[in-house]
Order: sequence, then structure tokens, then C-alpha cells
Amino acid sequence: MPFVKDIENYKSLSIIGLEKNTGKTECLNYVLSRLSDSGKTIALTSIGIDGENKDQVKQTHKPEIDVYQGMIFVTSELHYKSRKLVSEILDVSKQSTSLGRLVTAKAITTDKVMISGPANNAGLIDIISNMSNFGVDITIVDGALSRKSLASPTVTEAIILATGAALSSNITQLVFKTKYVYDLIALSETENQTKEILFNIRDGIWAIDNNNNITDLNISSVMMIERVKDRLFEAGNRIYVSGAITDNFLNFLKNQKQIKETEIIVRDFTRIFAQPEVFYSYIKRGGKIKVLQKTKLVAITINPVSPDGYILNSEELKKALEEKLGLPVYDVKKITN
Amino acid sequence: MSKMLLRNIIPLINSLRFMVERLTLQSSLGKRFLLDSTFMIDSKSINNELNLIDSVLDILNSNNKGLINKLQIKLMQIRDINGSVNRISRNMVMDDVELFEIKSFALISKEIYDLQKQSEIEIINIPDLSTIISILDPNKSNIPSFYIYDIYSADLAEVRNQIKIEKAKENADQHTLNNLHLKSEAIESSVREDLSKQIKEHITELLLAVNNIAHLDLIIAKAILAKEMSLTKPILSDNNWEYIEMFNPQIQDSLSKQKRQFQPVDINLNNSICFITGANMAGKTVILKTLALCQYLVQFGFFVPSQKAKIAIVNKIMISIGDEQSEEQGLSSFASEMLKINDMVAASQNKERVLILIDELARTTNPVEGRAIVNAVANIFLNNKTTSVITTHYSGLSKQCRKLRVKGLDKEIQPGIINKNNINDYIDYRLVEDEAGDVPHEALRIAQMLGINQNIIDGAKSELNK
Repeated sequence: MPFVKDIENYKSLSIIGLEKNTGKTECLNYVLSRLSDSGKTIALTSIGIDGENKDQVKQTHKPEIDVYQGMIFVTSELHYKSRKLVSEILDVSKQSTSLGRLVTAKAITTDKVMISGPANNAGLIDIISNMSNFGVDITIVDGALSRKSLASPTVTEAIILATGAALSSNITQLVFKTKYVYDLIALSETENQTKEILFNIRDGIWAIDNNNNITDLNISSVMMIERVKDRLFEAGNRIYVSGAITDNFLNFLKNQKQIKETEIIVRDFTRIFAQPEVFYSYIKRGGKIKVLQKTKLVAITINPVSPDGYILNSEELKKALEEKLGLPVYDVKKITN
Repeated sequence: MSKMLLRNIIPLINSLRFMVERLTLQSSLGKRFLLDSTFMIDSKSINNELNLIDSVLDILNSNNKGLINKLQIKLMQIRDINGSVNRISRNMVMDDVELFEIKSFALISKEIYDLQKQSEIEIINIPDLSTIISILDPNKSNIPSFYIYDIYSADLAEVRNQIKIEKAKENADQHTLNNLHLKSEAIESSVREDLSKQIKEHITELLLAVNNIAHLDLIIAKAILAKEMSLTKPILSDNNWEYIEMFNPQIQDSLSKQKRQFQPVDINLNNSICFITGANMAGKTVILKTLALCQYLVQFGFFVPSQKAKIAIVNKIMISIGDEQSEEQGLSSFASEMLKINDMVAASQNKERVLILIDELARTTNPVEGRAIVNAVANIFLNNKTTSVITTHYSGLSKQCRKLRVKGLDKEIQPGIINKNNINDYIDYRLVEDEAGDVPHEALRIAQMLGINQNIIDGAKSELNK
């Protein structure tokens, strides 16, 4: 029963796939099946996709997850109605998502359920903290890395990363891309005082000086950074970006003469959408990046089968990743059998 | 006349919004009930509401005050089931989420019922929803959770069991499973239909419970507001108003943030016209606004901001206060004011039971015609015995009309002591009956204290001495 014991040390865990078909669902099903006889009360939810337009709602095809008798799950009204298992409603949220309100229920029988969840971090944090009212020991979140989603899996204490052939059919490339995410997860947290100041700022780009005074740069996204370049470093060398970090932004900063003193602060690693090459060259030039919220990586799982049928050598891939990352790596296909 | 709802008045009266926003309502049912409150014009319903608030205040001041806190905690958990109740009454079938919400509502409603019963205090009657609970809680677990329990149908229990057996098989047949699922879904649907029917038989109690729980939430919030803002229960009168130490909570609040105090005002009115005169900055507009606030508060069933209050009930409150926007309608401020005055005069001539409040009538036109208009309007109100208050700076007011004057600045104060930052502290906001028809000439004195360019002051003085 690899790494499941580790999970029991955390109150919340999210499982994140680096690409579709990297075996996130298998990993989730594996974790749930092992936890189902752990004697702990488990809750399951997901990060909702913000469904502003209808197409997104249609695209929110979520795989069905095995929910075991006695487990608690949180899903939208829409998905709740289409469930197969018998379950008892414990709570219904007052706020609504694009797929309806969120229903908290307890499984009476074991079967598959489509899981959807809150559309933002606040909602997810609420759900996780609310779970203790139902005697839940561990809340598992079906996570996602999405620029569109306002909810980040890093609000959980720990994460599992699912990677595999779907990300790249070349082991070297696959290891490189996975190592990149691993490096992002490993970014260190900013000091507490700065963290407290920035934690509730959800909009804009801010400069922070050495005395933790913050100045709004009055631009809504990093795309507009060139507009303020004249006054960029006047209010401090640290830049807090509430939204996403892009290639352009890192490329711009690395070419400034202050690069060695520059420190970017982001909410969490999922906000960094730069290409690995750009990220590493920013770091090499002396730039720093820190996060407000860091989360513990518990394990990495691999799916050596790609959706187009290509199969990588599982042992070879596992070894290559373990060498590079120094962390246990598991093949979801093998552990689930 | 269509019913006047609080939700339509709140945007018009700032200080009313200020107070309503400070109500500690616990449920969305209570919030909706508040906004749908009607402007009451019969003293019986007003007194009923005021007495309810009083009864909660009695509890808050007694050894039983813990009850209110307990009730508020329960009210916080109350769900807004208006949508579901509507659907039931239209014979629609509830889904599991709706049945859960009705069950949860009924259980909490029962807890509120029990809380009142145990303490032998009934603020508002809450109907006993035990029957609805027994329909939705067949296992008598008393826990607000719900699903289509096996106990509802022997067939359903059987099918569910078959599904379990089939799934446990090593080579479970998907086709058989699908059929079993369809079967169980069909039985669940008919159970839901049956449950919805059973609940519909008790729809009257359910509706009453929804209404009275919302009302209870509001009454408690009104009582807590009354206690926190030191509001008073007004005495309803037939035709006169008597406020002792009337104050405006919103202005009091903003003054206290500047570490300053609001000076309460005594005022009484009867079925006639009353002028209020006084220097600039003497708080005439605040008096009008507070009179309007108190009148709305009492007729929406609130206590009022005053040490003591006697208030007559009116059918309509008609207000003309200059800071309203009229540009949208493309009218000059004079034109829009005159149209409003026209409505007021019509109401007066029809001898309607109204309270009319006009700030600086005809101030935007020349003083000669302005004064003529003021006197003409005042005489109409006087002759028709219409309760009305008009503030004005004009002299030569109609002799028959009653006049109140704000005392204003003390004549004795030496120059140099007062400036624009402390002037408010030197104004005596009390009202005195004024027999003379003249108005105070203090504009230049105040302008000087405010530090206005001396050329203006000197120029104006020599102009006056011509």
C-alpha cells in the first residue's frame, strides 16, 4: 500500500494531473479504494470549472469516481441528480455554482459519482473546513491546473502529482516537464509578514519595498507591464502578481538591470504559466520567485500509456523520474492491480 | 393605492437605509420579509408590531435573555424554502434536495417551537410541523439529512438489495445492473411523488411557519436595533406629534467618529403648517430628514430615535428636499420642485392625511416671488389643516403661521474663537417658538467665521448699509 499511509497525516489532499489522461482518475480511485478500509472518514470534492459560458459547461465532462459506502462527497446539484449510488443529503450550500448548488452527501452504497466542486478558493476552503462538522478526517480534492479556474489545489495541505505518457511520449521530455512542475512546487514561501499583507489581495500587480510597504502598480495583468516600466522598481524590488505569470513577464524582467534584486511573489505555483525554458532562464539570470502558499508533495504517479496507444517502459520511466526528483514514483496501472 | 413596500423606500431615505443595514437578521427569509414590509396606515397593526418588539426587549432585559441568542442561532440555520413551497402548492414533485431542505426547515422550525415552549415564552406562534417531520424522517433519527429511505417502499429495498448482490458478483452483468438501476429510479420517483402529495396536505402550516419564522427573525432584529441605538417605542396619537430629544442615528454615528456629539432636538407638530427658520448650518434640513425617518420607521413597525415620541399616523409622507436629482427628467430644480409642491397642495386640498416636509421652498428663484410662493403654499396648508413643515430663509412670513427658530450661534461669543472646524460645536440646535416674522440675519457672520474672502464680507456689509 505505497504512500497511502503518508496521506493519513494530512487533513486535505489534492490530486493533480499534469495533462489529461495522465492517470489522475486511476490515481484518485486507487487512493480512495485504499482509504476506504483505513477506518478514517473520507470526503471527496473537486475544483469546479468556472462555467461562465455554456460551452464550458458542456466541456465539464468529469470522469466518474468510485465512491465507497460511508464516504462523504460534495458535488453540484446537476451531478448529484445523475448519480447511481444511494446517498443521504447532509447539507446544501446557499451559494450556487454554474452547475447548481453544492450538495454534501454520504454514500449509503458504493458506486460511481460525477464530482464537481466550488469555483473558487474561498469556496474550497469553506468546504474543507466544513467537513469537520461531518466527522471527516481527510478531504480529497480532485484538482486541476487551469488558467481558467479560480480555485487552486494548493489550498490543501498536500498534493499528489499524476504524470505520464500523455504529457510526452519521450522519456527525457517527460522527465524534464515533470521536473519543472516539481521545481515549481518546491518554490519557497515568502516570509510571514509579507504573506499576511498580501494574502487578501486578489487583484492587480503590486510592488513591495524592504519595509513591506505595498504600492499598487495600477495594471490589471502582467501583459501591461511595459506600460509601467519607468516606475516599476521605484516602489520596491519585490513584485506581487495576484494573477498568472507569463513568458512575456519573465522575459521582460530578466532583461532589466535590476534582475538580481528582483523577486516575484505569486499566490501559489499553479499561477505560473511560463514555459520551463523561460522560467529557468529567469532563475539563471538571478531572478527569484516565491509563493504565498506552499503545499507538500506526497507522491508522483505515472501512467505509461498515452491516449493514442503509445506505451512507455514503466520501469525505465519510474527510475528516470526517481533519480531526477528524489521522490518515490508509482505506476498507477500497476498499483491498482 | 398600491401597497408601499420598504424595499422601494430604502433607496430614497439614506438614514432609513443606514438603520435597516444594521439589523442583525439571521435568515434570508427574514431579509425578504423585511424588504416586503408594507407601510402600515392603521394604528392597530402598528401597535401589534411595536408590542412584539417590546416583548422581545422585555426578554432581552430579563433573566431569559439567553433565549433570544438561542433563537438567533436557530434562525441562522433556517433555509429559504419559498421556491419549494410554491412548487408544492402547484402540485409539482420535489427532488431530493428540496425534500432535504423542507425536512431541515421543519426540524429547525420544531426546535424554535420547542425553545419557546420550554421557556414558556411565545413571541410569535410557530406552528407545530411534527407531521411533516414524520413524513420526511421515517426512521425518527431527528437529523437533518435525507434520502429516499428503504422504509418508504419494500420494492425499493428489494431492488437496492439486488443491485448490491449483482455488483458483488465477480462478473457482474452490466445489462442486469442497468435494468435494476432503472427500476430503482422509477420506484424512487413514485416515492417522491407520494411524499410531495403528503406534504401538500400540510401546506397551510408550512406557509404559516415560513411567514412567522421570518417575522420572528425580524422582530428580534428590530428589538436588538432598538436596544443598541437607544430607540423608543412611540405612542400613537390621533393628530399631534411630540418628540423629546429626537436624534438622527446616521448623523450621530458619523459625528461620533469625529469624536463629536449629536445635539437632540425637541419638536412638536399638529395638523397645521409650521415654519422652521434659522441661520445657515443650523440643522434645519436634518430636522426635516429626521422627521421623515421617524415617520417611516413607525409606519414600517420600528421604534424611533427619540427619548420620547408621540406620533400621528399618516397615509403618505411627501418630501421635497433640495439635494435630490432632477436633471434626469430634464427639469430645472425650480420646475421639479414646483411639480412636487403641486402634488402636495393637491393632497392638502383633498384633505388627505399626509405629512409634508419641504426644505427651503422656492429658494432657487428671486426672493420677492419666492416669499410670495412660500406664503401662498403655507396658507393653503393652514386653511386645510395639513400637517406640514417648511424651512425657509425668507423674512415676511405669513403672520398666522406658526414659526420655530433654531437658536443658532450665541451672540455673546467673541470673534476669533469660532472657525470652520469648530463652528458646529457652538451652534445651539434647539428650537424655540418665534413670534416675530423676521428671520435671523447671520449669513455674513457665519461666512466670516468660515474664513470667506474679506472683500465679500465688506462688500456685502456696505451693500446692506446703502
